[in-house]
Amino acid sequence: MTLPTDIGERLDALLAGSTFTVEPRQHHAALLALLRDELTYAASRNVALRNYFGAWPIEFREAETIADLPYLPVGVFKANPPLSLVPRDTVTKTLASSATTGQIPSRVVLNAETSRRMTKGVLAIIRSFIGPARRPYLVVDTPESLAGDPELGARSAAIQGLRPFSSEIVCCLRKQEAGELALDEAKLFEFARRHPECEVLVYGFTHILWQQFAVPLRARGICLDMPNVRVLHSGGWKRLEAQAVTRAAFAEGVAAVFGCDESRVIDFYGMVENVGVIYPDCEYGNKHVPAFGEVIIRDPLTLAPVKVGEQGLIQICSVLPSSFPGFLVLTDDIGRVVHEDGCACGRRGTAFRFEKRAPKAEIRGCGAVDSAREGLLVAA
Amino acid sequence: MLDPILTPSSPNDIAAAARRLREHAAVAYGTEPLKIIEILDRWGAALRGPVADAIPGVAFLRLWLRRNSLEPMLRRELGYEALLGSWREESRARLGIFPLGLVGHWPAGNIDIQPVLSMSCALLGGNACLVRVPSGLVDVTRVLATRLHEADADGVLTDRITFVAFDHDRLDLHRAMASAVDGAMVWGGAEAVAEVRALPFPHWARVAVFGPRLSVAAMDGGAWSDEANRPNWCRRLARDVWQFDQQACSSPQTLFLEHRDGCDIQPFVDALKQAFVEENQAHPRHDIHPALTSAITLARASWLLECETRRAAFPPAPDWTILVGDGSDIPTPIQGRTLTVLLVDDLLEAVSKFSGKVQTLGVAMTDCDREAELARAAARNGVDRIVKLGRMHVFGSPWDGTDLVRPMTRVIRYVPSSETTV
Repeated sequence: MTLPTDIGERLDALLAGSTFTVEPRQHHAALLALLRDELTYAASRNVALRNYFGAWPIEFREAETIADLPYLPVGVFKANPPLSLVPRDTVTKTLASSATTGQIPSRVVLNAETSRRMTKGVLAIIRSFIGPARRPYLVVDTPESLAGDPELGARSAAIQGLRPFSSEIVCCLRKQEAGELALDEAKLFEFARRHPECEVLVYGFTHILWQQFAVPLRARGICLDMPNVRVLHSGGWKRLEAQAVTRAAFAEGVAAVFGCDESRVIDFYGMVENVGVIYPDCEYGNKHVPAFGEVIIRDPLTLAPVKVGEQGLIQICSVLPSSFPGFLVLTDDIGRVVHEDGCACGRRGTAFRFEKRAPKAEIRGCGAVDSAREGLLVAA
Repeated sequence: MLDPILTPSSPNDIAAAARRLREHAAVAYGTEPLKIIEILDRWGAALRGPVADAIPGVAFLRLWLRRNSLEPMLRRELGYEALLGSWREESRARLGIFPLGLVGHWPAGNIDIQPVLSMSCALLGGNACLVRVPSGLVDVTRVLATRLHEADADGVLTDRITFVAFDHDRLDLHRAMASAVDGAMVWGGAEAVAEVRALPFPHWARVAVFGPRLSVAAMDGGAWSDEANRPNWCRRLARDVWQFDQQACSSPQTLFLEHRDGCDIQPFVDALKQAFVEENQAHPRHDIHPALTSAITLARASWLLECETRRAAFPPAPDWTILVGDGSDIPTPIQGRTLTVLLVDDLLEAVSKFSGKVQTLGVAMTDCDREAELARAAARNGVDRIVKLGRMHVFGSPWDGTDLVRPMTRVIRYVPSSETTV
């Protein structure tokens, strides 16, 4: 059984429509109806999911808000084999998250339909931030990241997701013999020399962009004189926080190397479980939800949605994945909604901010027989 | 009154506190155990009023500190003569119970009354106490310590107690504390216990470790299928789950239900759900760590996604969770009021897989002979307490298979020189 035609048509219509100008109530109603139908489809495709939905305290077919629908905690995507709604022979790609050492990565399976919609979703969002034109694309990573492997990491997925905006691609890192990354200065300086004034797109994983690019170039006082670049980066702040690098210092450092304004350095939040949706910062520092997604912030104590301004666990919603059940995912991240509507940047609907990864728990006490619950520490 | 809790800034502060305690202990040496019991009894009686009553576990602490609780325990552990502070004759020798000296306490951070419970055990052995108070328990311990000062106006006990509060990461202070004591009572999770055990205790110091352990419950078919008693058993189990937010070593994490022909467990699960709802109404959470919320939501989803025959009951909030399935292995505990209910053909099969990891087995059984057989099997497989459901947290001696007072004492053998040589 494939995705019912009417669902597919509604998804394509959403993707073809306006990404950030839908009136919030209309957006919510359309999304709720679509999500209910997608959950019905998912339940018909996966007996384990049907079991989970059946135990959910609210019957999802009668849910009146998106917040009432059954969500999956992000940890279930670490399951092996990955959760799937499609036959194995129709899977074209598997996306894996960038788990840090010792952690199990999340993995999601994509079929052709979901891949296509994922690409369209990312394009629609990025277009709203940098415009539709193709331009030279500088990848602060190695050429291997452009390979079309069937098992794709988050880094490669992000790099390749921006290809439709490129007129040419240059990767300015190379792998050394021992495997560590090094700056390919000849390539970089040649690229900068050829594109001094024009609009250039740059992408790098946050910690790579900092450690392999900004830090060594800045230490030598190098400025590339590329004032019209748009630097996109993603991948999280965990490693930089460990080095006490603030977001402001990061933006300032990267902008100094390119010789551009700091507002041209754009962080975006995203995760493989939320395919087709990324959340770049707008000029007011807010992240926006597209027409085909939603974000709910939940109180850890009640799991009910919190009020505007209050912090809680971030739940991401997307109607795009039809090959795996990534419709409603409760993350381990903490955020807050800034506006339900009316951000000064002009984008409609929910605007939110990512605050931090949920802190590790401190107390387990005398009942803590092992460390099986990831991340929980003991404080006797 | 000065703050009863010291906040040392350097190892020297700890060393100075230890010196003072030894000086006071030397002066107070020989205080009769009955005198100590009398003061502890007064302290227990003073633990009343809205502030004290709000401390989780204080009702139990009052009971624990009563003369009627302490005196029989001391008599059993140390003998009648020790109560009077006198020697016991044995053949031509005399045996006497003496304190180790200064005992350090490292209680777990999840049980509010544990610092003072641990301390009371060492005091009963005649010791002085240096108690490290976990950061989350400082306010509660201050209330309890202040009441002790009021009940012990002469300072008989308070002069030989020092509470210290410092950050978990201050290894220098942990080390200073360890090197200053003659004995230690250590409570907590695996990592915490391992860290304390690695501290530089003097070679003569005796270290008693309590935890880390987990606990489980078991019901035979006669108990869980008994419609009349079912709500009562479920209420008792809910109480055991709720106390200490299911983080104590005595908290049940799994309930084994023995299969009974012709009986469906769903009515029992419904009754348990009702008991959980009621217990949650009576004792709602006021806060939760986001990581625990994540763990609870993940446990719910993983349980149901891993096998389609499994069932679960839970509200939208992370207040409580009942996971239902088959099997005789204890799943990884989630805590946070998440109880796994497993249907098993034979309770003995589940018990045969127990190890020293299991501390308490809470039981509800209608067949007394089988219960006794189960208790023997559990004891052989590492379980230290087998108690009725609803009483899993009742603290008493022995605990974790060992006495609570005796380990912090020394048995002295005295053979008078005037004895006729054979």
